[in-house]
Amino acid sequence: MAHAFRRRADGSLACRLDSEEKAIISQVAQETADLIRADLGIDRDPEVLRKAAASEDPLRRLEAEFAGQDAREPADSAVKRLFPAASEDETLAGEFRRFGQQELADGKLTDLTAVISLLDASGPGHGEVVLDDEQALSMLRALNDVRIVLADRLDLQRDGDFDTVRMLQQIGERVEEASSEDSDQVGSDIVIAVYELLSWLQESLLRALD
Amino acid sequence: MPVEQRRAGSGTSSLTDLDRSTQVDAETDGPWCTVVWNDPVNLMSYVVFVLRRHFGYSRLVAEQLMMQVHEEGRATVSRGSRERMETDVQAMHSFGLQATLERVGEG
Repeated sequence: MAHAFRRRADGSLACRLDSEEKAIISQVAQETADLIRADLGIDRDPEVLRKAAASEDPLRRLEAEFAGQDAREPADSAVKRLFPAASEDETLAGEFRRFGQQELADGKLTDLTAVISLLDASGPGHGEVVLDDEQALSMLRALNDVRIVLADRLDLQRDGDFDTVRMLQQIGERVEEASSEDSDQVGSDIVIAVYELLSWLQESLLRALD
Repeated sequence: MPVEQRRAGSGTSSLTDLDRSTQVDAETDGPWCTVVWNDPVNLMSYVVFVLRRHFGYSRLVAEQLMMQVHEEGRATVSRGSRERMETDVQAMHSFGLQATLERVGEG
């Protein structure tokens, strides 16, 4: 069972998560990172690109430059929410994407990777996850990005939609009692549970930071 | 934004603080602005955190802007040169907020 984030005497922030919770958060963070990479066509290690950009070989530098500028328009509905159009003016939005999307993606991927490493570092089993303020910022942004992806999968469009989804889930449970659950329902039950866990964790971190 | 219990005591201070700060903003107006849009995912407390963190707004100003986003669907959170607004929009996107760049008076 998870325990909320709190500020410790040494200034760090800590929460307790059990092994299952850590594994689930790691998994959804990894899936979010994979989704961003796949949808935007980022299959290169940013470190490789940085090296290529500093290379003596002009062809490699050119290649790195083009790789950075190849800002593919997101196709997946969740990735669209993570990389929204910066303007209603399509020309302006396209320009913005060309110059900023790669950096934005790098930042999001860095945050997601940081969270996975932090959870790994807390060791197997029930344990404390400890963050400094910089890591707390990565955690907040990564939790939010994962929640955006889950919300898209749950088709949350407007305020209050999550309450509706949860209410329908409870009604569904009552109707389906005794009858065998279909696998779609089990899938969305898990998404709802993970979304609630992440929302609670993010809120608890915000309170601890306050 | 999902509705949550607001803690007692927040947002009860004088509204004149906000009026004064928006006036200051208006004086240093640029032709562009950053607009944040409502969405069903971002927690109210997170939006306030982001506005305080990135723009350095007081809790009161950040909470007023967050409520405006929540109730009216959008709020102008900064004004200035196009370059500065691009930085602000990019920052909002990095936090997962839905934000756009607009010419002042466009929306």
